[in-house]
Amino acid sequence: MFSTDHKVIGKQYIGLALFSVFLGMLLSLVMRFHLVHPDTKVRLFQMLWPEGAPGGQMTPELYLSLMTMHGTIMVFFVLTTAPQSGFGNYFLPLQIGAHDMAFPVLNMLSFWTTALSLVTLLLAFLVEGGAPLSGWTAYPPLSGLGKITGPGQGLGQDLWILSIAMFCVASLMGAINIIVTVIELRAPGMGYFDMPLTCWGWFVTALISLFAFAVLLPGGVLLLLDRVAGTSFFIPGGLIVNDQVQGRSGGSPLLFQHLFWFFGHPEVYIAILPGMGVISTVLSVFSGKKVFGYKAMAVAMLAIGGLGFVVWGHHMFISGMSPYSSIAFSVLTMAVGVPSAVKTFNWLATLWGGRLRFTAAMHYALGFVSLFITGGITGLVLGQPGLDIYFHDTYFVVAHFHLIMGVAAVFAIWAALHYWFPKMYGRFLNERLGKIHFFLTFVGVYAVFVPLHFAGFVGNPRRYPDFKEYEFLKSVTGLHMGVTHAAYFLAAVQLIFLFNYFWSQRRGAVAPGNPWGATTREWTDD
Amino acid sequence: MAIAILIAALAGATLALFFQPRWWFPEAISAHARAYDAHFLVTLCVIGCIFVFAQGLLAWVIFRYRDRGQAVTGSDGSSALEIAWTSATAVIFLGLALAGQGIWAGVHLEGSDPRALKVEVLAKQFAWSYRYAGADGAFGRVDIKQIDDAGGNSFGIDAKDPRGKDDLTAAVLRVPVGRPVELQLKSRDVIHNFFVRELRLKQDVVPGMTIPLRFTATKVGTYEVPCSELCGLGHHQMRSSLVVMTEDDYAAWLAEAQQKVVLP
Amino acid sequence: MTNVARTGQTLLVVASSMLFAAVTSAMVVRRGIGGDWVAPELPAWVWATAVLGPLASWLILRGWVRGAVIAGGLLVGLQVLVLAELRMAVIGEAFLSVLVAAHAIHAAAGVAALARWGERAGLFWHFVGALWIYVLFLFGVWA
Repeated sequence: MFSTDHKVIGKQYIGLALFSVFLGMLLSLVMRFHLVHPDTKVRLFQMLWPEGAPGGQMTPELYLSLMTMHGTIMVFFVLTTAPQSGFGNYFLPLQIGAHDMAFPVLNMLSFWTTALSLVTLLLAFLVEGGAPLSGWTAYPPLSGLGKITGPGQGLGQDLWILSIAMFCVASLMGAINIIVTVIELRAPGMGYFDMPLTCWGWFVTALISLFAFAVLLPGGVLLLLDRVAGTSFFIPGGLIVNDQVQGRSGGSPLLFQHLFWFFGHPEVYIAILPGMGVISTVLSVFSGKKVFGYKAMAVAMLAIGGLGFVVWGHHMFISGMSPYSSIAFSVLTMAVGVPSAVKTFNWLATLWGGRLRFTAAMHYALGFVSLFITGGITGLVLGQPGLDIYFHDTYFVVAHFHLIMGVAAVFAIWAALHYWFPKMYGRFLNERLGKIHFFLTFVGVYAVFVPLHFAGFVGNPRRYPDFKEYEFLKSVTGLHMGVTHAAYFLAAVQLIFLFNYFWSQRRGAVAPGNPWGATTREWTDD
Repeated sequence: MAIAILIAALAGATLALFFQPRWWFPEAISAHARAYDAHFLVTLCVIGCIFVFAQGLLAWVIFRYRDRGQAVTGSDGSSALEIAWTSATAVIFLGLALAGQGIWAGVHLEGSDPRALKVEVLAKQFAWSYRYAGADGAFGRVDIKQIDDAGGNSFGIDAKDPRGKDDLTAAVLRVPVGRPVELQLKSRDVIHNFFVRELRLKQDVVPGMTIPLRFTATKVGTYEVPCSELCGLGHHQMRSSLVVMTEDDYAAWLAEAQQKVVLP
Repeated sequence: MTNVARTGQTLLVVASSMLFAAVTSAMVVRRGIGGDWVAPELPAWVWATAVLGPLASWLILRGWVRGAVIAGGLLVGLQVLVLAELRMAVIGEAFLSVLVAAHAIHAAAGVAALARWGERAGLFWHFVGALWIYVLFLFGVWA
């Protein structure tokens, strides 16, 4: 259990992410159900959350805490752990010819700190008042004043911050491990530009993590002190909450947003860069060609990593910060779109002139490219502060980030699983089930997330437990009903994947040493 | 093969949704809102072209190079191509960013209009209130100790300040059509957000700050104001209205409301 | 020292520097806009602790790691005394508390690393000593 072998730790991370992703998905189903049936009483809800759903009727605060937990679980424990810590741990040493990571014990500690962090987060469901309701972004003062701002804002929010702080520490340890491994343990004669793009993905992601989590950690600590030690880092003076005057002074809510998004935006790239590396590899192997523009691809990753640190302000266009800085952030944000577009062109050029073999992994990789285009292109709307004014905090944003950061990254995980499963378990994931799962899922994600953009056009704010209060939201009832049903469908077809994943570990077709005819070391060394 | 068709079909379906009239922006009721819609349309055309081009190319490449036993021919790199598509996307993306600055500047970088009707907006969990300066055109001092929501003094207007005697507070924002309005947004507890869809305006309301927001509504009507920044368990019910009135109706309302002003 | 140990410590130094830079910039912003800033006053003896870091570094270079551990341990102990004096409700002191506590954690980890790995953990300790001088400088000269 406390193994220091990188392969075991990689599998442990993937297992943790798999548990988390299904939990996060179940929470989202409960939310989708409530959005379209806000008055329906459900006994199961009452059994699960006696306080949050008295008589089976879900309260707004329960909806908001499900939303907070869904976002936190998905962003941290799925999108940050599986692509980077899961596959990175397992395959980085193999691909660069190292025996293990540079610090195996530290590696083991990283995983168990992450696991403890997840347990701490889930404990928030069980404590008095339940899980926090301030969203995965936890803006103060809502998150900074304790129980007075809502039921989950007591112990639940404290546990949330503790969990994130632990996650930061674990991620910093993991990042150091990966960077040192890349710098010091490459096989003799292997230069940086001889590494597969997957290794570039993990390397750049680790560099981003090193800087980003080192800022989120103190941000979380300062927020916790505002809650428990009566400091005023983020809490301004003269507040009256629930008719009680709060004795704080001079703090700045925007300061927290700056610290949070300095981490939060690079976090998007932490989720997607390892996937980009995987996609490059899979497209190349199944086109029978080398990756087109290898060097441009590696440099584009570095550019995304670097520019990713100077665009955080685009999350704050309407926050009240200086309107002049919005202009600078906007230009930089559009600039960070350029290397992403360059990568897309290079993927298309990789396919060009090849002989495409449509394995399951290749399906997911091609699906990734399509989703990356669909989800990325709306960034050109949101990156303009003038246009963001209307769309900020509407379902348009929900659609945008789910497609590009959530779904695209998960498609990359599936591509990686189908591609590397023979190496990890000596057997294939069932190809036919994989393709069926791909087609149903691909249709499902378009059906769920494309319509949500249109709720955004109507101006539908996100983070609403129901839409009953507003006349103008009557027009989106049908749209949300459709999306909810598409979500049920999407969730149901995940059972195919789950079955395939566990069944193939025992019963899958036995794989030869290098089943795909790949040229990287994890297949050719032995 | 099947995946090429599916990508084309899903891209086509996505595109088709843009031609349905049901889920779209509400009517624009200010010059800014109309400028917003015009620039949005330009952006939409640009990204629509990119979308069709990229998804179409993807589907076509998949179809064209499916395994039929052919020899692999394509190259694995070209500096000319890299430079071409890097500079092409840079020009398009940065061009959009610059073209869109006009709308932003129109809302946030233009100075205060001296003729503007000034209204103070106070947000709290989970209600909005508005304060007009009254006949003297000056807001009275506030004192948080005098805040009394039940007594109708949510702002805490200081009874000792003569300028505050005629200050008018209301739960609905009423403004005359065609007159510039300058809101002063304040929050008493957590962050809220003032959003009027028809004006294409949205602004966070941050405790500890006073944030200006300017507009000139050009169409009479009643418009909903939904809170658009998560503010707690009543967030989804924190609703208010903007009522744009003719000058005469507004004057009549103001005169009547002014008579009822009684301060503690 | 192996390359792996040196690179690992260097990256740890980068991450810690980033963390202290984040708190510093938060402090600059908060001091600028809060309007309630009062420079925290430190007891005179605190300034003397600035020499403990370099002293321990010198002892490491001279090969007397046990002496360095004692000097480092003394620094951590004195930092705990400083923390006990500070009031969280005063924003300048709250920032100072955060920086001193964060440094104390680093120093304690540095001492533990010296005790465990000897002079191979020297690089990290040199950084810790310099970092403490930075924290004192921040409050003595600037805040």
